[in-house]
Amino acid sequence: MEGFVVDWKLSFDALSIFFGFIILLVSIPSWMYSIGYMQGLYSGGRILFAKILLLLFILTMFLVVFSANALLFLIAWELMSLLSYFLVTLDPHEEKASRAGLIYILMAHIGTAFMTAAFLIIYSYSGSFDLSAFKETCLILPLKVKTTVFLCFLVGFGTKAGLIPFHIWLPFAHPEAPSHISAIMSGVMIKIGIYGFLRFVLFTLGVEELWWGNLVLVLAALSAAGGILYALMEKDLKKMLAYSSIENIGIIMLGIGGYMIFVKMNQPLLAVFSLAAALYHIINHAIFKTLLFMGAGSILKTCGTKNMEKLGGLIKLMPVTAFCFLIGALAISALPPLNGFISEWLLLQALFYGALAGATFAKMKIFLALLAGILALTGGLAAACFVKAFGISFLAVPRSKKTETASDSGWSIKAPMIFLTALIFIFGLFAGPVFKILTGVAASVSGLNNGAAAFTFNVLSLAPQEGSGVHLNNLLLSGALVLIGIFVFSIFKVISREKSITYGKTWTCGYYSVNGRNQYTATGFSKPFRVAFSFILMPYRKMEKIRDSYYHVKSFKYEVHTKQLLNEYFYKPVINRIFRFAEWSRKLQQGSVHIYIGYIFLALVFLIIFLKRF
Amino acid sequence: MYIELMQYSVLLMAFSMVAAKRFSALVTLFALQSFLLFLLTFSEAAKNGSTRLYIVAGLILAIKVIAIPAFLSRITKKIKVPDGMGLYVNTTLSIFIAALITLLSYYFIRNFLPAMDKEAGAALIISLSVTLIGLFIMIFRIKALAQVVGLLIMENGIFLAGASITDGIPFFVEIAVSFDVFVAVMILGVFVYRINSLFTHIDVDKLNELKG
Repeated sequence: MEGFVVDWKLSFDALSIFFGFIILLVSIPSWMYSIGYMQGLYSGGRILFAKILLLLFILTMFLVVFSANALLFLIAWELMSLLSYFLVTLDPHEEKASRAGLIYILMAHIGTAFMTAAFLIIYSYSGSFDLSAFKETCLILPLKVKTTVFLCFLVGFGTKAGLIPFHIWLPFAHPEAPSHISAIMSGVMIKIGIYGFLRFVLFTLGVEELWWGNLVLVLAALSAAGGILYALMEKDLKKMLAYSSIENIGIIMLGIGGYMIFVKMNQPLLAVFSLAAALYHIINHAIFKTLLFMGAGSILKTCGTKNMEKLGGLIKLMPVTAFCFLIGALAISALPPLNGFISEWLLLQALFYGALAGATFAKMKIFLALLAGILALTGGLAAACFVKAFGISFLAVPRSKKTETASDSGWSIKAPMIFLTALIFIFGLFAGPVFKILTGVAASVSGLNNGAAAFTFNVLSLAPQEGSGVHLNNLLLSGALVLIGIFVFSIFKVISREKSITYGKTWTCGYYSVNGRNQYTATGFSKPFRVAFSFILMPYRKMEKIRDSYYHVKSFKYEVHTKQLLNEYFYKPVINRIFRFAEWSRKLQQGSVHIYIGYIFLALVFLIIFLKRF
Repeated sequence: MYIELMQYSVLLMAFSMVAAKRFSALVTLFALQSFLLFLLTFSEAAKNGSTRLYIVAGLILAIKVIAIPAFLSRITKKIKVPDGMGLYVNTTLSIFIAALITLLSYYFIRNFLPAMDKEAGAALIISLSVTLIGLFIMIFRIKALAQVVGLLIMENGIFLAGASITDGIPFFVEIAVSFDVFVAVMILGVFVYRINSLFTHIDVDKLNELKG
């Protein structure tokens, strides 16, 4: 039991510092935002309580990232889960929030159980919880043990990250939490799951077999495509963002899975490239998801709802929020020249080059090409999703009374959003230097040679493969975009010289007395996708007519829902079975003291008779 | 010789307690059984001349023979419930089951500890039977006080096992257990009293209404 000592050893290697940087990047703006956001929503005492919890939460995240001892890691991890649980259920009157918190804490503990199992397995070989001892031990573990440990880590960290079979807590917990907490949870906390995966699978355990990488890639592709599909169906702004987090985790895991297979395919340069791209997407997603949640939060605060069907016209009422949200939406849809485009482009390049390079792996070619296709599809769907989110919430005219009187919030809410918007541009335009640093981090994780120089053509351009002639200089690209824009605009000006502008209400097409209820709805917008992907989404409708007579329908109700495949066919049956078993086992508990003592007696007699067998 | 006799008497007392229908009889029999244990310990002490054993014997006399029975009979008088204990299983069948329990203990000891010498083996069989009979009384008697006495009988059985096969349980453990039992009985007695004043009965089988 000597190893069961928690020493407070911390380690500051490149990977830890990278994630520490991301925590800072998200938590400082979120902290500022929380000051303005919580004002007026909660009472003074609760705000103080929330701030203390938030501070502790951020500290535990740092502890997780910097700990050099598995036991300390586990303790910090558990603290992180518990603190975030209390932050999710901050509002004690919200029935939904406490239910969401329950699902969250349950899933978090299932994940932690798997992690603990993996740690204990390694510990039984190493005799120490020190991470460097873990790494040495992992070299001599038998293959079967390694596979078990890998699967445990995949489930454990996958649950935290929200990878698709283990994601069910995410769409509940993130929308119900206060918005700055959603921002931190989506922006950073789920990435801590990725950190764990990088630290323990890639760095400590090492990649042993090709199918590990394939498994990760399949789950990642499922998360990316599934996450964005469900996001597209959602009309709750924050829930939509939560699903989109699943999508982005999928994209990040695509890069990590790519690393795992490229290592096995003897493509070290490509492996580092793929991992660095994943790291890049981690930063980017941290920035724009935090920004988007802040935008959604500021809408929720002023309009009192996050249901898109009740919003509208906010671009005129909340110009700053609208602008920031627009930039965030463009970035998350991977449009050039913003940062989301860079990382997804890099990932696509990695997958394409992988497909080209794997000459000896014929099957892998098709597989990687398919994955690249899924990534492209995801980008397209994401664009559709955010066109919907922005178009329905910010354009046209307000759809509810409260929305009509909305206005931009105070500076404590606006300033962090503006800051993050600026970061989106910075990380988009100066991709070259950033990527250089990231390849350094990726190389230190993998222990492969540092190929940083190979990926940057000159200071500002990216080049995935040496001498292939594919470069991306984002500054030039954005310059070109601006020039084209100016060109088109001036041509337009020249052609339509005469002023033919008439002012009218938005989207009324010349009609008058048209109100907010005549507009296009979020559900209507997503209808084509619901039809196209009906084999996954399985939409169904409910109609309810209340009529006086056959000819007079008094009221008419029409609902459209989609089915969550995994919930419907996996989680629900499992949970039902557990409940049924619990119900059945209640029969053992008759409440009679005699029967309880009788159980003891029977157990004793049983042991007396059958002791020899044991 | 007389030591074996006393050990068998302990078993006999356990059987009579199984047969007892009234609570006052149960308490008297328990006091008798404890007195036999006192005699056993006292003779052991006289044989070895050890002060510690004298103290243990004194404790048994003070706590189990005098204090606890007195306390229990006081409670019985105070709560004024009918003296019958309420049997789930009638006396005849109870004695039959107790005999089966003894048989079971016999087979268990003989099968698993065959190397043990005869006297110690017999003592162990007796103590195991007494323990299980105590448990049996706890299960098949309705009134809450019977559960208390059942627990005490089990404790007696365990004490007998400790005294007869080892060189005695360590002294401090012995003292601690004695006081433990005393305190436990006090608390249980108070509980029984409370249960009675709340529900106007002490029938354990009706307590399942408390289940949530």
